[in-house]
Amino acid sequence: MATLVEDKSNRLRMTGRGGELVGAYWDELFTARERGAQVVWYNGHALNPLFQAAGISWCHGEAFSARLAAQHLEGPAQLAGEEYGYVNELCSYSRTHLGCAVLTNDFGEGETGIVGAVDQRELASRLPEPDFFVNGYQGCSTGQQWDQMSYRILGKKVPIFTLSLPYMFGSKPDAGYLVGEEWETATNYVVDQLEKLIEFLEAQTGRPFDYDKLGEIMGYIKAASQLRREAMALCMAKPTPATYWDWVACIAHINFMPAGQRLIDYFQGVKDEVVERLANGVSGVANERYRLYFDGIMNWNKLGWLARKFADTDAAVICGRYTHQNFWQEPQLIDPENPLRGLAQHYLLCSNSQGFKTLKEAMVKDCDDYGIDGIIFHASRTCRAYTNHQHLLARVAEKQLGLPTTFFEGDIADAAFYKDEILEVRLAALLETIDAKRART
Amino acid sequence: MEHAAASPLEAMTRAAEDPAGYVEQWKARTGGRAIAVFPMNFPAEIAHAAGLLPVIVQEDRNPITLGNNLLSEFNCGYSRNLADQAATGRLDVFDGFFMADHCIQLIGAADVIRELTGGRRFYLGQLISSMNDPWTPEQARLTMTDFVAELSSFAGVEITDERLRESIKTYNRGRKLLRTLYEQRRSGDSRFTSGELQTMVKSSMVMQREEHNALMEDLVAQSSATPRDDRVRVHLSGHFCHAPKPELLALIEESGGIVVDDDLFHGARYISTDADESASPVDALVGQYLERNVNVPCPTRAQSDVDWDAYLLNAVHSSGAEVVISLLVKYCEPHMLYLPELRKALEAEGIPHLLLETEHEGIPLETMRTRIEAMFEQATRGRAPTRVPTA
Repeated sequence: MATLVEDKSNRLRMTGRGGELVGAYWDELFTARERGAQVVWYNGHALNPLFQAAGISWCHGEAFSARLAAQHLEGPAQLAGEEYGYVNELCSYSRTHLGCAVLTNDFGEGETGIVGAVDQRELASRLPEPDFFVNGYQGCSTGQQWDQMSYRILGKKVPIFTLSLPYMFGSKPDAGYLVGEEWETATNYVVDQLEKLIEFLEAQTGRPFDYDKLGEIMGYIKAASQLRREAMALCMAKPTPATYWDWVACIAHINFMPAGQRLIDYFQGVKDEVVERLANGVSGVANERYRLYFDGIMNWNKLGWLARKFADTDAAVICGRYTHQNFWQEPQLIDPENPLRGLAQHYLLCSNSQGFKTLKEAMVKDCDDYGIDGIIFHASRTCRAYTNHQHLLARVAEKQLGLPTTFFEGDIADAAFYKDEILEVRLAALLETIDAKRART
Repeated sequence: MEHAAASPLEAMTRAAEDPAGYVEQWKARTGGRAIAVFPMNFPAEIAHAAGLLPVIVQEDRNPITLGNNLLSEFNCGYSRNLADQAATGRLDVFDGFFMADHCIQLIGAADVIRELTGGRRFYLGQLISSMNDPWTPEQARLTMTDFVAELSSFAGVEITDERLRESIKTYNRGRKLLRTLYEQRRSGDSRFTSGELQTMVKSSMVMQREEHNALMEDLVAQSSATPRDDRVRVHLSGHFCHAPKPELLALIEESGGIVVDDDLFHGARYISTDADESASPVDALVGQYLERNVNVPCPTRAQSDVDWDAYLLNAVHSSGAEVVISLLVKYCEPHMLYLPELRKALEAEGIPHLLLETEHEGIPLETMRTRIEAMFEQATRGRAPTRVPTA
């Protein structure tokens, strides 16, 4: 792997503060049992406001896998999954989390043949065994089966609720982003599904669901999301005051951490820092010469490395599908007085769950808004949901927008699929193409 | 009838190997319209009742060229092959596209097809895949009703209950004929090879069902049972959406095995369940969808109260299979997720299990031969002494 001598990336100071908040969240979850709290394992959409309102501690499967990968601690869980029989081409989020379930279920070393199983169990034991599962997957069919397997690994004794959510393919003639018969029908259907989930939560907790608290929580999320979107929009400036990597670093906060005044304060801090940078002419990359769009789910093993890598070439990665088309990205849809509708609509808006027509329009808009010079596609090896449309998007970028594109392979939570030399060469070629295009005009 | 002069199996082979050719001939002959449908749960009966020819798009033998620039190389071969078929005009024979499933890789292919066949109708109506919730039947019913409306509109024909009931009877008849041969195979009849049975099922996914039924009636009536020899009895498992390559089936038989049962989509899974002819037609199709997943559980559905591994053990015991070969389509995530449970269940009962990964681009037959032969040797070594050659 190449060595980066100088770090030309200039990450937001708030990123460090954000890391502390995330660490505190996980520590609190790990002690849920001691506090007598119920624990739910859930996958897919951001169902955490419902759990928070119900007074339950929650573990988001992808988030835990991403956390392990970001800390380079994913190995033991993945080894456990592999020993149990999961092929390494399987979604690495699910493989990692299922590996945790294998270890949580306390399979002995003799039974699994896992080398060093005793030590690894210590890691898994930090994740409390669930009292129940809730699955909230829509586009990615793998997510639904992943929870079915967790259910089986843990002995089929933990209750499971599957939220059925329609994929927004756009079959009806008037289908479009936030409009049309399909949007309205799907919204009503998901609201109905959420009401059934609430009944399930009431049965599991033995308490009536607190709708007022949910409204309050959604008010916090709405305010935080507005601040996040406003801060992102400030990055249309040239040079950009913050980069895509800063927005990746605060996904955990908007996506699954408890909503409260602390969440608003955090995003207010992020926005304030961006405003301060703009006022002082401070940029997110030391010498911004290229403005790139990043399409692909995050390679959590390489977040810091990629931030430095791109900055090293004077490339500011400004925005991307993962950060800008997900995670409460339409805060105006949230109505604290009628929280289920806003929740339902945001679940439908996950970019993993959108047909190509919508994805294309969103990418074109972001590229226009942020003055993008080129697009880099992270082909995340084990995530078909996110890579499905990338080749079609590249065609649009090149034919409709006249933007050069390139691909590199990596993965969401399995470092083995990333090859630094490939990114190095492809990124250089992309930037040369941008230079050549500029020279012609 | 176009294939009247050919033997039933020849006619079926022609349709199975060249679906587009069959569709072209059918359209020329009838003046009708054909739609492409996709695995594994689209209710073809509804399209049939609208007078359309519903054809499950088969993986073809062409090398993937343009398709590799439309979907990632780590998508399953079938989805990349579909993209390639769309990009190279091999789906042009179809007048529209309909789909009922939401496997994420198939959805990727669907968006490619829609993008490259612009102007033709592509309708994705998702059948609920969480199978044992209290609201599942009603939700499935809404989707089935939606399909009736969409296909009526597409075909310009009112799909009455009567028409749909007749289509259900026709499809039930076809499944029953195919099941007759599958049940005979389980009971010890080895007159048809696994490749021939696959051809029968595959062609039933392509041909007009009345025509296919007539060929099946001939086949069932013509031949007499052939007793099974002492080759190793094999259960084939897995391989959703598309058929395993015939040469792999032949290899298993050349290596000393005989397939006695399977749960392949191009096999027992596809023909397992009929719709209730006495119920209202839409309810019958809903019931069929739900019951199929109980009869042959599918890892693309979520159902906590049925298990593929339990089904597999029952199937092995009832057919007398000695070994199980899992055919895993490379990158098929539903199958990958369930493999450990299958392995655990089979190991617990001491049933030998071999995992073979298949790809569109070609399969390493000789490597597979070695592994299959080794497994069969192991299986025969464990047999009673009377089976050991005395010479």
